[in-house]
Amino acid sequence: MVTPEEIMTLEEQDILQEIMNIAFGKAAADLAEVINIFVVLSVPNIQMINATELPEYIGREVADYSSVSVVEQDYWGQFLGNAFLVFRDGAGKELVSLFGCEEEGFACESLDMLERETLMEVGNILIGACVGKLAELLGDAVSYSPPRVSTRMPPAEAIPAGLVVPESTAIVLKTVFRFNERDVEGFMFLVTNHASNTWLKSALAAFMEQYEQ
Amino acid sequence: MVSRILLVDDSPISRRMLKSCIPKDRGYEFFEAGDGQAGLELWQEVRPDVTFMDLTMPVMDGLSATREIIRLDPQARIIVCTADIQVRSLEQAREAGALTVVRKPPSKETVEDAISFAETRG
Repeated sequence: MVTPEEIMTLEEQDILQEIMNIAFGKAAADLAEVINIFVVLSVPNIQMINATELPEYIGREVADYSSVSVVEQDYWGQFLGNAFLVFRDGAGKELVSLFGCEEEGFACESLDMLERETLMEVGNILIGACVGKLAELLGDAVSYSPPRVSTRMPPAEAIPAGLVVPESTAIVLKTVFRFNERDVEGFMFLVTNHASNTWLKSALAAFMEQYEQ
Repeated sequence: MVSRILLVDDSPISRRMLKSCIPKDRGYEFFEAGDGQAGLELWQEVRPDVTFMDLTMPVMDGLSATREIIRLDPQARIIVCTADIQVRSLEQAREAGALTVVRKPPSKETVEDAISFAETRG
């Protein structure tokens, strides 16, 4: 049985947490530039989660919501994994007006469709900027799948079962954020594929080398 | 003249990164705190010449700690060092009394420039 410490030492987790902090700060600034919103940030968190426990862990984290909306994107480079943006259901409706859709009168489109498009756009910006900055700081560049949006999901099904290889351990980066003006809170989870663990450890060491005394 | 520097950041790695960007040949004396409340208390104890302050921290955030320090000493020299680079956050930092802002990740250039700027305000 591999222990979490063997996958990533506490110091490596601290470095990754700081890089995630920088990356999500960039993502928030990008989103604030596109729409008139202020994103309240929190300190990110790194967890080593066994594959079989991952859906339960995510479900537990967002258990306060009776149902959730999820934006998911895969990313791949040497840094490889899946990004999930999780909101309580209905958050997308709160955010629709930020994109000016109401004012422009998309009367023919249903609110559901606008909600999905809004979530997709928010997800695209936040995930793209965060994962992109994280990869850049680690000397990598990544590609992305198009974002996929699911609404009215039970929290326990926020991420698909079988996302990671059984018996493997995923490195999960979590950050919680709040859109101040809209009273909307969300979670971002980056679930790192175990195939990139070796690269990730050496990339973290290379990142810190520039700061060694 | 700057001789005592206080670093306030909840991340030990972040403090290490910042410290490594500060010139080693100037004999600075360093003090460190892991959140805004601890930073405020240490500031009162050591009265540093310059304080580097993170914004997003547990217990007390960097904006509140900056406001408190400026309330105690309006001449205190505080440099905010943050990953939160939203325009509004940077404005809030300046409104709270920060002299300038260093964006994370810090570099030797940005940190040296900030210290030089603080020296002109001494």
